[in-house]
Amino acid sequence: MSDCTWLSDRMPTVALGQGDWTADEVQHLSGCPSCRREWELVRATSRLGDRPAAEVDIPSLAQAVLHRLGRSTGPQRKWKVWRFAALAAAAALVGVLWTGRSEQPLPGSASAPIVAGLQIPLPELDELRPEELDSVLRGMDQPAPDVDTLETTDPGVMESPEPETVYDYWEG
Amino acid sequence: MSASTDCMAAPDSTTDHSLVAAYRGGEERAAAELVGRHGPAVGRFLYSSGAAAEELDDLVQETLFRAFRRLDTWRGEASFRSWLLTIASNLLKDHVRSRKDRHIVSLDQHELRDSADPHADYAASETEERLRQELSRLPRLQREVFLLRAQHGSDYGDIATALGTTAGAARVHYHHAVKRLKELFG
Repeated sequence: MSDCTWLSDRMPTVALGQGDWTADEVQHLSGCPSCRREWELVRATSRLGDRPAAEVDIPSLAQAVLHRLGRSTGPQRKWKVWRFAALAAAAALVGVLWTGRSEQPLPGSASAPIVAGLQIPLPELDELRPEELDSVLRGMDQPAPDVDTLETTDPGVMESPEPETVYDYWEG
Repeated sequence: MSASTDCMAAPDSTTDHSLVAAYRGGEERAAAELVGRHGPAVGRFLYSSGAAAEELDDLVQETLFRAFRRLDTWRGEASFRSWLLTIASNLLKDHVRSRKDRHIVSLDQHELRDSADPHADYAASETEERLRQELSRLPRLQREVFLLRAQHGSDYGDIATALGTTAGAARVHYHHAVKRLKELFG
């Protein structure tokens, strides 16, 4: 390998500050115009773009890249997207079930206006003091435990065949 | 004498491997570390390849975003940086093609910073601009090989792996690029 080729291979190392010229190399450089021009070129290239690159805001860049990766559906983050989707679906299901349940008339609240309108005499309640009566009424307002209840008197919407049989029997 | 620079490993390549593994395991801090380590190098490469300074932020971000999305395709044969710079080069090619005109910032658009020696700064900027323009006129492979070698210190084996060529061919491309460019300094 000639000295010029050797020097050419060494140039990036020295230009990037990862090594120094030896005395022999310095001597060759001073006497070889071709190597000197190449050295100027490599040295200028090693610094090219330092200023604009230094103006790139690295913390903001890292934040922006991570933000985009978080929203992307790339392979590295698919599991996170699926986990989030599963949680969202579960939350939606619970919400639907809860809403549906609360829209059903509760036995206590549904029956209260009917009972009030019927004017049925309840002498036991007449004997109660106001605070005892309040306690009983509060108890009636609590939701009943899960039991099968007949919420409608319309036989057309009954699903069980048994009440239909009773109805038919009534009608004769 | 042997070409010791050919054996020069890319700096922190082992740690790049562990950071990539950590990121694949779900550690986002590892990604931030990789961005901090290679972001400026990507910026320098893109600028030297002809990207406009005002577009550098967006192009660097897009390069890193694409790289992280395609992280599975990096098998560690080429150094992480060389792999990243080839993505940057492809991105810039697409970017230039989409704009239909190559945008090199001319000297009159170039902002010069305050300096104790404005004449020296101007001369440096002028040389820089001429070098950028000459680089942009090189065939793509010559430019990539030259920048990977002269600007980032990659060895020919690494360059060959990243660009899908041989070390011998990479050396030939480098010397062709040097032959054309060093006339600037004649």
